Amino acid sequence: MNKVRRLSEGTINRIAAGEVVERPASAVKELVENAIDAGSGQIDIVVVSGGRDLIRVSDDGCGMSPEDLLTAVERHATSKLKQDETGREDLHDIDTLGFRGEALPSIGAVARLSITTRDAAADTASKLTVEGGTLGSVEPAAGPEGTRIEVRDLFFATPARLKFLKSEGAETQAVSDVVKRLAMAHETVGFSLTSGDRNLLRLPPAQGDLFEARLSRLSGIMGNDFAANALRVDAEREGVRLTGYAGLPTFNRGTAQYQYLFVNGRPVRDKLLTGAVRGAYMDFLARNRHPVVALFLEIDPALVDVNVHPAKTEVRFRDAGLVRGLIVGALRQALAEAGHRASTTVAETALGAIQAEFPGSAQGGAAGSPAGSGWQDGARDWVPSSSALQAHASAQMPHQQAPQADWGSGFGTSARVEPENIQSQALEARPLGVARGQLHETYVVAQTADGIVIVDQHAAHERLVYERMKEAIAANGLTRQMLLIPEVVELEGDAADRLARRAEDLAELGFVLEKFGEGAVVVRETPALLGKLNVTGLVRDLADDLTELDEALSLKERLEDVCSTIACHGSVRAGRRLTAEEMNALLREMEATPHSGQCNHGRPTYVELKLADIERLFGRR
Amino acid sequence: MKITIERGALLKSLNHVQSVVERRNTIPILSNVLMRAGQGQLSLTATDLDIEVVEATTADIGQEGGTTASAHTLYDIVRKLPDGAQVEITDGEDGKLTLQAGRSRFALQALPQEDFPAMSAGDLPHRFEMPAEALGRLIDKTRFAISTEETRYYLNGIYLHMVEDGAPMLRAVATDGHRLAQADFPLPDGAAGMPGVIVPRKTVLELQKLVEEEEGIVRIGVSDTKIRFEFGGVVLTSKLIDGTFPDYTRVIPEGNDKDMEVDGKKFAEAVDRVSTISTERSRAVKLNMEEGRLILTVTNPDSGSATEELGVAYSSDALEIGFNARYLLDIAGQLDGDKAVFSLADSGSPTVIRDVDDESALYVLMPMRV
Ligand SMILES: Nc1ncnc2c1ncn2[C@@H]1O[C@H](COP(=O)(O)OP(=O)(O)O)[C@@H](O)[C@H]1O
Ligand SMILES: [Mg+2]
Repeated sequence: MNKVRRLSEGTINRIAAGEVVERPASAVKELVENAIDAGSGQIDIVVVSGGRDLIRVSDDGCGMSPEDLLTAVERHATSKLKQDETGREDLHDIDTLGFRGEALPSIGAVARLSITTRDAAADTASKLTVEGGTLGSVEPAAGPEGTRIEVRDLFFATPARLKFLKSEGAETQAVSDVVKRLAMAHETVGFSLTSGDRNLLRLPPAQGDLFEARLSRLSGIMGNDFAANALRVDAEREGVRLTGYAGLPTFNRGTAQYQYLFVNGRPVRDKLLTGAVRGAYMDFLARNRHPVVALFLEIDPALVDVNVHPAKTEVRFRDAGLVRGLIVGALRQALAEAGHRASTTVAETALGAIQAEFPGSAQGGAAGSPAGSGWQDGARDWVPSSSALQAHASAQMPHQQAPQADWGSGFGTSARVEPENIQSQALEARPLGVARGQLHETYVVAQTADGIVIVDQHAAHERLVYERMKEAIAANGLTRQMLLIPEVVELEGDAADRLARRAEDLAELGFVLEKFGEGAVVVRETPALLGKLNVTGLVRDLADDLTELDEALSLKERLEDVCSTIACHGSVRAGRRLTAEEMNALLREMEATPHSGQCNHGRPTYVELKLADIERLFGRR
Repeated sequence: MKITIERGALLKSLNHVQSVVERRNTIPILSNVLMRAGQGQLSLTATDLDIEVVEATTADIGQEGGTTASAHTLYDIVRKLPDGAQVEITDGEDGKLTLQAGRSRFALQALPQEDFPAMSAGDLPHRFEMPAEALGRLIDKTRFAISTEETRYYLNGIYLHMVEDGAPMLRAVATDGHRLAQADFPLPDGAAGMPGVIVPRKTVLELQKLVEEEEGIVRIGVSDTKIRFEFGGVVLTSKLIDGTFPDYTRVIPEGNDKDMEVDGKKFAEAVDRVSTISTERSRAVKLNMEEGRLILTVTNPDSGSATEELGVAYSSDALEIGFNARYLLDIAGQLDGDKAVFSLADSGSPTVIRDVDDESALYVLMPMRV
């Protein structure tokens, strides 16, 4: 065995680099964070071959003096931790993104680093290079106020690391991801990202109040669709504030990747968010669909520990339950307020499809229309105005006034006043309008003040039945089957205690259990709705939920699965003819029911086409 | 092998054995039925490795031997042959089995009989006999309460054992953790000393089908791990569930002092009627008992409520208790006599139900909290 000796500074830095700089994207993250901490208004990022050959970050922030520049590249040197009177640094009071003083020396240890910087006091810039840990000297250089950092040949000093890099495309993607996350949280800072000569991102500083600015930044990154389908979130609990935007359930994705959480401006990845979001959207989405959310948490820095890992993307909350409750509550609230609103992308997709099918119509003029002949002949087969729906509808609406004999004369007079029907006019003012007819015994078509609404009758009714069941359960409680042979479930660690502590909540969900000696619980009653079930499995899942998410999700999900199956069987099928009264009743109930805009699987229950959209279809706009 | 057999006889035997064969098999030969010809008999064997059914039937043996072929396919073919047809089965050199009847001719892929898994019953030290009808009754009375939930695997069967705290009995018990059914038959000679065994659900179902048609005696052999039933030309051998049946006697209350006597048939009809109002699987029926009458109620927040009153013999304090309607109907379906008695304690404790004049079967049902 060799003698024990201290590691050299270079080796220490290379080891630290292993944690801080895992791949080009992590170097980019550190550098951009520094630029943000420096109070920059514009940050420009350039990468070449995924950041392997070159990373350049230029900012217009405060810059550094020549002396500071030299210290900045030393390990554990930072300007960001505050000291108290006794000179002690407070790790619990961090309001910058950086604080560990590790980034610059780490990058310098594994790459060729060059920093050009100028602070407000200096009239020329200074430049310093560090190559594979070897420090150069500070030299005067030309440059504007702010800092420009170049990292070339990343990992040239640690070739083993190079082997682990992914393809250039994947590394570039990771860089772009990192920049996007930081840009979301700092909407007033302008960002640009260039890869080689490709411009990947160009985000001007966002204007307006906090919400406006955020929304415009978010849509700059996630596309305008997001803005159109996002619900504003704004909630506060015990001094913790949550703001941001949550996507409508119908605006969903196949992965949970588009869920962003920022804690005091720091992008974090946290299971807590995933769990909270899952809990809040549980009713609205199939298990494999995920909503898009961007949430910003502002919390006293003393109540959150960001120093969990060198990459600083994990955080620990002192009161995770509070944060989780805040997120779930705020999301549910936003969703409840959204009521029956479904995503506009749905209408847009539909429109797109129509337009694709009738290429001629978009250019104005009936000449190119495949339905041409029908049009020319006039109204015998088809009346191309709102009275068409009217006519068709009245054929199925025995209770409404007999249709006017206007098959011929109505043609072309789209503005023709409808039969005087006060009730109908009043209904038209309602969000989902008045039912005008049913198509294919599946879709209800309704006229609103400024458009038409098409409702999928089965999906809509299923949702209504489901919501009614949930309401009944909330009002009357769940029927519980008592067990003739109670089931004892052995659990690991303190899971039994955790379950027992939540016994009351569980009982509300129909699940009665109590502690049974050390490390076990005995289950005495189960929700009758679930029939005969695998009690052991459910108890284990519940214990896991309580550990991870602090909520009994498995049980709720199980109950809601059953409810939605029952709802599905208990609702009007496609293919059933509805009377006018039934259709209007359906529309009114949808308006009155929260969450009726999407079915239990996150598909829309209706789409709305505005007149303006329809006019576009016909090339009138 | 070469045999000729009348279609009806073959169909009956095939029908008996083929239902043991699982629809999907990863081991191809388990889809097959083993056919062996010898001594004037055709013997058919099917197995899923847990249960084996062998049935022998008289046939015209042209040449002794044996082979295996798909049980379900054979059964389907024979089923579609005309009544009274003579079926000739031959196994060829080419690994195919030929079945010929009239002008129909089928060539089926065969697998060698040596590859067919044999199930050895081993030693069956406890042997006894009982009437097929009595065995059928033990099964009928308890089968409905067998659990299908697999984590408590030891509840996935009927617990067959002897009890001696009165006249010695052979007892069958099944429970799914919500209700329990128990049926007794006077202990047959030779059964004394047998271990308590759990007969798996699938075995119970097969056995029930087979004994239904049987009028004679069933010979039963039991060891710690296997059970065998022999009757008619059939031998059914099954593995037992390797587990401990819970001490069920503890959940059968002794001190229930509120007795209600009711006409079992009328009760079942009333439960059936009032539960129409709810479509839920887990619908609850509320029973309100007071002096001389029983009121059944089902409420469904969506569609309304239903009540029905029945005259009963009841003289204890008024009591309200809720049960799963399905469970009540299951039990009511088992009561044969016209008078059933419910012994109750309170709304949160198990209730015992039985025929007034039949001590040999009882049911225990746990209430619901509504
Ligand atoms: N772009 C920049 N503009 C101004 N100062 C910077 C910049 N980058 C780094 N610095 C200075 O260098 C120091 C060390 O940076 P770093 O190694 O990333 O550690 P940390 O960010 O944790 O303090 C910072 O504390 C800061 O004072
Ligand atoms: Mg830093």
